[in-house]
Amino acid sequence: MFAMPAQPLSQRLPPGHITSAILMATAMLGGCVLRTAEYRPPSPPPPGSASIPAQPPPAPAELPSSPAARQFHLGAASRALVTQAHAQANSGDFGQASATIERALRIEPENPLLWIELGRLRLGAADADQADAMGRKALALGTGDPAAQAAAWRLIADALQALGRNAQAAEAARHAEGLAPR
Amino acid sequence: MLAAVLGCGALYVLYLDHLVTHQFEGRRWTLPAQVYAAPLELYAGLALSAPELERELQRLHYQRAERPDHPGTYRLSGERLDVQLRAARFADETRPAALLSITSGAGGLQALRDGAGGDVPVLRLEPLLIGSIFPSHGEDRIIVTPQEVPPLLPAALKAVEDRKFDTHHGVDPSAMLRALWVNLRAHQIEQGGSTLTQQLVRSYFLSSRQTLSRKLREAVMAIALDAHFTKADLMNAYINEIFLGQDGSRAIHGFGLASQFYFGKPLSELDLSQIALLVAIVRGPSYYDPRRHPERVRLRRDLVLKVMAEQRIITAPQASAAAQRPLGVSSRPAGAYYPAYLDFVRRTLRRDYRDEDLTKAGLQIFTSLEPRAQDEAERSLERELERLDRAHKVPGARLEGAVVVTAPQSGDVIAIVGGRDVGYDGFDRALDARRSMGSLIKPFIYLAALESGHYTAATVVEDAPLDVKLANGTHWRPENFTHQVYGPVPVVRALSESLNLATVGVGLSVGTAKVAQTLQRFGLAQPPAQVPAMLLGAVDVAPIEAAQLFNGLANGGFRNPLRAVRAVISQDGKAVKAFPLQVSQVAAPAIVYQLDRMLVHVMDHGTGRPARALLPPNLAVAGKSGTSSDYRDSWFAGFSGSHLAVVWVGYDNDQPTGFTGSAGALPVWAHLMASLGTSSWNAPMPESLAEVQIEYPTGLRVVTGCAEDIVAVAVPEGSELPAKPGCGFPATRPAAGEAVNTFIDNAQKWLRSLAH
Repeated sequence: MFAMPAQPLSQRLPPGHITSAILMATAMLGGCVLRTAEYRPPSPPPPGSASIPAQPPPAPAELPSSPAARQFHLGAASRALVTQAHAQANSGDFGQASATIERALRIEPENPLLWIELGRLRLGAADADQADAMGRKALALGTGDPAAQAAAWRLIADALQALGRNAQAAEAARHAEGLAPR
Repeated sequence: MLAAVLGCGALYVLYLDHLVTHQFEGRRWTLPAQVYAAPLELYAGLALSAPELERELQRLHYQRAERPDHPGTYRLSGERLDVQLRAARFADETRPAALLSITSGAGGLQALRDGAGGDVPVLRLEPLLIGSIFPSHGEDRIIVTPQEVPPLLPAALKAVEDRKFDTHHGVDPSAMLRALWVNLRAHQIEQGGSTLTQQLVRSYFLSSRQTLSRKLREAVMAIALDAHFTKADLMNAYINEIFLGQDGSRAIHGFGLASQFYFGKPLSELDLSQIALLVAIVRGPSYYDPRRHPERVRLRRDLVLKVMAEQRIITAPQASAAAQRPLGVSSRPAGAYYPAYLDFVRRTLRRDYRDEDLTKAGLQIFTSLEPRAQDEAERSLERELERLDRAHKVPGARLEGAVVVTAPQSGDVIAIVGGRDVGYDGFDRALDARRSMGSLIKPFIYLAALESGHYTAATVVEDAPLDVKLANGTHWRPENFTHQVYGPVPVVRALSESLNLATVGVGLSVGTAKVAQTLQRFGLAQPPAQVPAMLLGAVDVAPIEAAQLFNGLANGGFRNPLRAVRAVISQDGKAVKAFPLQVSQVAAPAIVYQLDRMLVHVMDHGTGRPARALLPPNLAVAGKSGTSSDYRDSWFAGFSGSHLAVVWVGYDNDQPTGFTGSAGALPVWAHLMASLGTSSWNAPMPESLAEVQIEYPTGLRVVTGCAEDIVAVAVPEGSELPAKPGCGFPATRPAAGEAVNTFIDNAQKWLRSLAH
């Protein structure tokens, strides 16, 4: 009557099917080469004194002349939603977790940390293209905050790796290291 | 012979029996899709004053009370608001009723606490029901379960309409006879003799003429229904089925929807006088329309109360107290009805669902609509169009318009206005009025120019007469709106003042193919005809498409498909479809930033200047006016830090309006932006750029103090710009040219990487 949700990959091949056996064998042999994109929630931002309020007050009409140094944090509302999203993701419900992060993004649409959260969820749900795009979004929004940009580059690197674009992934990882060495 | 007649009769009775049971069962499952607006998220720091918060609760038809002890009520004392929230269903969660305390302060909401005093970091109000997608035969209903029906309602219905409901077998012969007697004596219809069951049958098979044969058929079917189904089932079916009002093309069926339609509240929250009013309407929703015939329906309501007291359903003091109350009906059909937005929702879902699925399965559809923004958009359009009509007095013609508002970072569509008569479900201009873009196209020409590497905001271009030979051999000689020629001007000025000649020059140099490709990258659905006239906006777009294009400029170069529907769940709460956020980078952020800064100058220095007086003084915005040839279309597309709005104004019959985008659409846009509580545009400047000061008329590099008309523009770091003589600049950096080349290389590499 209405669209059924797509069957998850694991159910498309019935157990015991020859193809799945071959695939599993190949995966075991080539497992070290392929890197599965798994959900890892982003590491929390470093504690700091300066924080960006959840709703920035109207800025004066004069625009900044150079990227001011800043440090992004999650407001209280976003933090609560991110915590909820992590719990939902850890119990396997990426759809719910995404919806929760989207709620936070409506409160703080320009916070790169939230875009990184959403990108990580996309990666966990095997949507590396969106993970990459959201990483780039976070990168642009995070101008002036090396820690946020480094986290964005790490997300981009992981996404590119999942897409098999290893050279670019390595370059992205180098950017991350350069900005905020682990 | 007699046997044959009896046999036919029996067969016919069997047929009627089958017909009515089929209807009964079928109707049980005919549920239109319910559509909800975006829920308002409450959190400490939200810029909402206590009165504004109260307004939002009232929008959801919460009532002020001494003590908020049942769902749907709140108490406001000073800066503290205690509200008993109703149980709410969201796409991803169901939440029971709960108490919430909110304190406000100077900066907005300060703290939220639950019933136990614990801190609540974030909580959303229930979403507003904004309409239903109902079957083409126009019936609309909100199904109520027996638990949601106040017991007074079935009691009142029985008392007034069918006293022997619980005992008869579908028809009540004594009632019919009595009615016949009373009506004969009074020479008019005072009593109906039909049982509730008969009324139910009549409702299934609409018939205006009550002939004897019809009445006989209805009686047979009523008896059949009574035999097959329980009294409780029949009462519930009646409560959900009976016709109670008309709203344009939408027929209001059932007490659930009638409660929303007349009072804006769920049925379970109605008081005695309101229940009595609905019961009074049953006898004739048009005759007893409370909005058109309040005195008539009031008399009948009080009669219903009297009958209820006589039947000892309520006490006499209760009846007289209720009779004192005003009707309490809202002046505008409540819980209605944003037809342009619903239209967009319907089209989005039509891609995935057949119409019957949409209108029969009782889907719950959650959208991005923000009622506050929608109201402001409607209001701004109505007011300004009225003023413009008065000022321009073209006899017989009436200006029309459309507005689309988005949240740029997500691409959520938060408001759609399809025309100036906002409740009218007709031609949706926001989605369907394809009009010439005019100067709205110019930002995309300059974007392509910036991407080529040969232009910056400070590059001097020629605004000079042009003679372009077209493919068919004719000559095209465009002109500026002012019919003047401006000579050498910097790019920022050419865009600010919407200079046609300079822009066509740049566009031809960049190439129409590149411009077309830029438009398509940003979401233009149809490839535009690549003729020189395209550079002046000879491309037809609907306002929603213009919003899609400009959304990418407002969010720093990402194409997010504009999204009205966020999620769909089934009637019993299971997830059916989600529309998750999707982004796709279509231009380098550094390029878009340079362009956005120029669009800010449109507002400071150029055709957007008239908006300044209407906006808060420290609000930074960016935008572009659009006027098509012969002034047929007046556009304005502009954005702040949190909103993008596109406005179109014109005549439906395409006749010239006589005013530009700045004179027509811009005031609508400015009033709307001023009322939204929006935030300043403050995107960070990418590291590869630098800010330089140039002289606005000439484009020469200056420092503060050595020129009069100075603007600050963003250019690639290390760009070489000719300096104004006598301004005393330090020696230029040796690697300047190299830096520019590296930048161009990087931009081109990035563009090529998009190709896969």
